[in-house]
Amino acid sequence: MSQPRLGLWATEEIDEEIQDVDVNLAINYAQSGLYDDAQSRINEAAIIAVQQQMAQQAAFAQIPDVVKRFIVHFHQAVLENNLSEITAAYESGWNRLTEKYYAKTEWPEAEVIAPLVNDDQLFLILYRELYYRHVYSRLQPDIDDRFHSYENSCELFNYLLNSDGPVPLELPEQWLWDIVDEFIYQFQSFCVWRSKVKTKTDEEILMLSDGAQVWSAYSVLNVLYSLIQKSKIGEYLPAHQQGKSEAELAELVGEYGARPLYRMLGYFSLIGLLRVHVLLGDFTLGLKVIESVELNQKTPFTRVTACHVATYYYVGFCYIMLRRYPDAIRSFVTVLNFILRMRQYHTRSYQYDQINKQADRMYALFAVCNALSPSRLDDNIANIVKDRYGDQFAKMSRGEEGLPAFEELFLYACPKFITANPPPYDDAEQLAVFAEEVPSEPAQRHLALFLSDVRAQAAVPTLRSFLKLYTSLDATKLAGFLDADEEEMVQQMMAVKAASRSVGRVGSEKSLLDGQMIATSDMDFVINENMVHIAESTVGRRFAGWFIRNTEHAQRVLDGLKNNPLPSVPHAVAAPAPEADGKPAHPPQKKVAWGAK
Amino acid sequence: MASATSDWVTPPKRPELIENLVSGVDRYNPSNVGILEDYLYHQIRSQEYDCLANLAILKLYQFNQDLYNPDVIVNILVKALTSVPFPDFNLSIALLDERLPSANPDEPDPLPTLLPHLTSLHSLLQQCRFPAFWALYRSDELESLRDNYTVEVVGFEDSIRDVAVRAVKAAFQRIGSKRLSSYLDLEGADLEEYVTRIGWRLDSSTGVVELPPNPDNQISSTVVQEDIKLPQLSKVISHAISAA
Repeated sequence: MSQPRLGLWATEEIDEEIQDVDVNLAINYAQSGLYDDAQSRINEAAIIAVQQQMAQQAAFAQIPDVVKRFIVHFHQAVLENNLSEITAAYESGWNRLTEKYYAKTEWPEAEVIAPLVNDDQLFLILYRELYYRHVYSRLQPDIDDRFHSYENSCELFNYLLNSDGPVPLELPEQWLWDIVDEFIYQFQSFCVWRSKVKTKTDEEILMLSDGAQVWSAYSVLNVLYSLIQKSKIGEYLPAHQQGKSEAELAELVGEYGARPLYRMLGYFSLIGLLRVHVLLGDFTLGLKVIESVELNQKTPFTRVTACHVATYYYVGFCYIMLRRYPDAIRSFVTVLNFILRMRQYHTRSYQYDQINKQADRMYALFAVCNALSPSRLDDNIANIVKDRYGDQFAKMSRGEEGLPAFEELFLYACPKFITANPPPYDDAEQLAVFAEEVPSEPAQRHLALFLSDVRAQAAVPTLRSFLKLYTSLDATKLAGFLDADEEEMVQQMMAVKAASRSVGRVGSEKSLLDGQMIATSDMDFVINENMVHIAESTVGRRFAGWFIRNTEHAQRVLDGLKNNPLPSVPHAVAAPAPEADGKPAHPPQKKVAWGAK
Repeated sequence: MASATSDWVTPPKRPELIENLVSGVDRYNPSNVGILEDYLYHQIRSQEYDCLANLAILKLYQFNQDLYNPDVIVNILVKALTSVPFPDFNLSIALLDERLPSANPDEPDPLPTLLPHLTSLHSLLQQCRFPAFWALYRSDELESLRDNYTVEVVGFEDSIRDVAVRAVKAAFQRIGSKRLSSYLDLEGADLEEYVTRIGWRLDSSTGVVELPPNPDNQISSTVVQEDIKLPQLSKVISHAISAA
């Protein structure tokens, strides 16, 4: 993680080179156009053109000089494929200027700044990408913004995928991830907005019925699959895992896949695809598409933290819906520990908030999974969960009466589900029917399914708490304690048994869907005709983690001390003192050893 | 240990054509829906089951509302019932987006009436309430489900019995034949024959069925000791070496 660099434009100091850029040139250019138009025969088109130009000119005049310089500089960096300059402009310059000038309004439109960048179409597409992202995150996008951001994304992907051969563009990895991430976010946002029929104006309804292809699920999938195929990331990843040489890899992935831009976009599209499938409720396909992704922290793809975190969140969520709670827990624990370790580097990143929010959702999901399938995987994470979701966890651990707590946490922490299809905007009659009985939101449907899984386990906590008290017990007697019908109770026992088994990845599985049947509870029982026999596995106290952590910590402290310069005590005062006390001075060779390190 | 999911991810009898559809981009091509639907009916006739292929049909329906065929959906859900305790049923439902009631009164959509019944059946199976399952399944209310759908699914009732057998096998060492009979909805000679076929032993004098041991019905108390793997210590060791 690099330190955020201070952008030139953010400092108020004047840089000569940038000052040289003549920002007035653009205005002259615009004015000369105006003059020509006035001379020609005045027709409506011309008037509109004049008005537009005047508006643009006025808008241009409004742009603060520091922003103009920033755009020129940014453009230059992109032209030169200067990754460090692009990163600086992208990660700090843009955000600083946003805070300063555009916290509540749009950035200048691409057409307005076009003269600053010589009408460079590629840069204008990239600029619009940032422009719309800003609109979505800070302002309320209207229907035009939504349609135009879609068109702009299409132009960008079209440029990347359908030029003659791979394009020579280079962008920072973080930006590439953000492009894919934002594309899916805008798709999801559009679907949610589209499903709210009642608030649409007639004009919007007309546009929605004409533009059914805009943000369609097929078009989004098409982009992601195209990027995956073009980059051959599906071939690259397994070959890379097998340790093929760079030359072999280059030959395998071809001219596109060999370029970092395409390789990263391909990888991010895999994760994007996982996300889209989850949003649409397809949890098996979600896991299947990232079959070739190796979930560990050693791949270069973990450099983009947001991507890494998103991957584990969606994988974990899929496992919840597949009722594989131990796998879900493992996924959350892995990435939550990662986030804890990374925290020190991230407090200054502009994504810190977002990652923190996603982490908090995962703590909630961890609580949910742990209530359904108690585990002692990680005390550290479990303690944080106890802090944040202790109340809900206690309720969830009590079976049926905990359902509201399950509901609360699920709705808080689940992905923003969408429906694949629009309401019938092209059919006024059907649309009226639709508006009358708006179907339940997709999140509610998935919640209902999840709660049905929870309900099937509702009897588990009570029965377990009774069984724990015995080593063997007659079923009739147990039914008596519970004040339940014996046959019903025996059937519940089978459900308890089922709840203590789960499919789980034990470690050697290749694919994320693969797994073995594992026992998930430390309490086990078996029924012999009518006698219940109970056996409990106890876990010896775990010391290793604590000792390892603290040994490592002690080593770090020791290293830190060793590397510190000795306190510089004035010689005249310090030197005689030990002698006066009769203590020997530090052996000189030791000082040498410290200095050598 | 054997994988619990490999047959589910890739059933051994899945034809190559279907494998290509399930694993490739062609799964999104609406013109392939017929192939997948034919495969579903093949599963129904020959007691096979391929969850992922059936989910691919539902995916195509999700994206192409004009392909919607409620009979196919009911059949997929009926097949998914037989895979409890695996989550296939809910995974299938998750792909059914809400849709408008059928505009055509001549062709009533059977799904809205059948879906609640199927869901009830599923939750009874999930909760191992097998006697209640059979009672509901044989009730008058579900006549149309039986007559129009499950009757076509070869071996449907036996597949449900398999669900019960899986649950019993995990929880019991011995089970009274009366109890077992209520779970399997079989009596007398039928029950005896069924029990023998799956390798369990019925003691006719006591009326108790003995189950062969399996990993789930053998229990023992253990103390799990902490396991420290070498990589956990790698930092400590490497530091010690570099410091030496």
